[in-house]
Amino acid sequence: MEALFQQYPWLNQLLMGFMGLSFKHVVMWGIGALLIWLAVAKDYEPALLLPMGFGAILANIPFSSAVSKVPGEEGFLIVLYNAGIANELFPVLIFIAIGAMCDFAPLIRRPSVMLFAAAAQFGIFTTAIGATLVGFSFPHAASIGIIGAADGPTTIYVASRYAVELLGPLSVAAYSYMSLVPVIQPPVIRAITTEAERKIKMGFQGEEPVSQATKFLFPLMVVIIAGIVAPISVALIGALMFGNLLKESGVTENLSNCAQNELANLVTLLLGITVGGTMSADRFLTFDVALIMALGAVAFVFDTVGGVLFAKLLNTFSSSKINPMIGACGISAFPMSGRVIAKMALKEDPSNFIIQHAIGVNVAGQVASVVAGGLVLALIPALAK
Amino acid sequence: MSNDSSSAITMMAVALPTMFFVIGVFIMATKALHAAFPAPIEANEADDEE
Repeated sequence: MEALFQQYPWLNQLLMGFMGLSFKHVVMWGIGALLIWLAVAKDYEPALLLPMGFGAILANIPFSSAVSKVPGEEGFLIVLYNAGIANELFPVLIFIAIGAMCDFAPLIRRPSVMLFAAAAQFGIFTTAIGATLVGFSFPHAASIGIIGAADGPTTIYVASRYAVELLGPLSVAAYSYMSLVPVIQPPVIRAITTEAERKIKMGFQGEEPVSQATKFLFPLMVVIIAGIVAPISVALIGALMFGNLLKESGVTENLSNCAQNELANLVTLLLGITVGGTMSADRFLTFDVALIMALGAVAFVFDTVGGVLFAKLLNTFSSSKINPMIGACGISAFPMSGRVIAKMALKEDPSNFIIQHAIGVNVAGQVASVVAGGLVLALIPALAK
Repeated sequence: MSNDSSSAITMMAVALPTMFFVIGVFIMATKALHAAFPAPIEANEADDEE
């Protein structure tokens, strides 16, 4: 064969794709196809999983020009990676879009729901501990734990700083489990609550409407408080709250609409295909990745348990009972978690409408996950020394 | 126990209470903000009518 290539050098160019093909590449095509199938057939986070799946296929064609790292001939996925993920730009832009989509009124009306959201970040830390016990380094373990924030951009932001080689699997785990909330949360909640607890009805006593001035000042307040506690989180929380300020100011409707639609769609598209482009076979087909996928599920389970048990704990001290299921909405998978829990309550008792409470906790989860992400970002370098 | 595990446990021991503290500050500040800028009564009535 070598002699043939020497005699006909063009043959090498023509056959390099076939010659470089390995079993691992084909497995990665299967994984890419699986992500695309989940997006198309199951409607699991299609805006992300479809570009991610396609990016994974592009990255696993032997000698693919899409991921070429030859100086001067860098593939477009490498260019996008350097332009938007290595410098953390894409996750931050996504946060502007999310902020513009968020309505914090339910949270402002009942700010105590933020406690459930804080409790529902429990999975981040337990998973990080678990990851160190199975052999991951502390920065990698903390990045794996962040899957428990149930917040894709936060996961990507932390991973691009402290676990860049795990970025692909971490992103896939974060987005896959976010889309699997309807599968993961209900059995966990049923296992740790009684039927009577799941049927608890919640009223709306003492909840006044929220003024526009309050809605406008809320994002500024959050940025200042979170920024002072963890300055490293300002990029994330600042972007989230900037998006919300665009929405609530009432004078930048075009910008708010742009953030909610064009910006969100464009960055989601670029983020998905670029993350998919990092899923090369040599990085993805490892035992560590299998462990990461398992730990991601553990993170979601512990988040749910943390939120629900905290609500049950509050019930032991409070005269007005809380339906403990809403504690599970403290994860950041918005609005899916809120809807899933509201649906569960209706299934238990068709006259039990807790959707407003559930969505309030779910919105608080957005804020709490970013605060948790900021604290983890701040603590990794301090503790890794 | 490895250094990595003890770092992870320290992170939990520091981050969880800090998070509850920050969230506590958020709750108080949000309540103060909500109280300082109540929704106009006319708006309430309009909402009720809707």
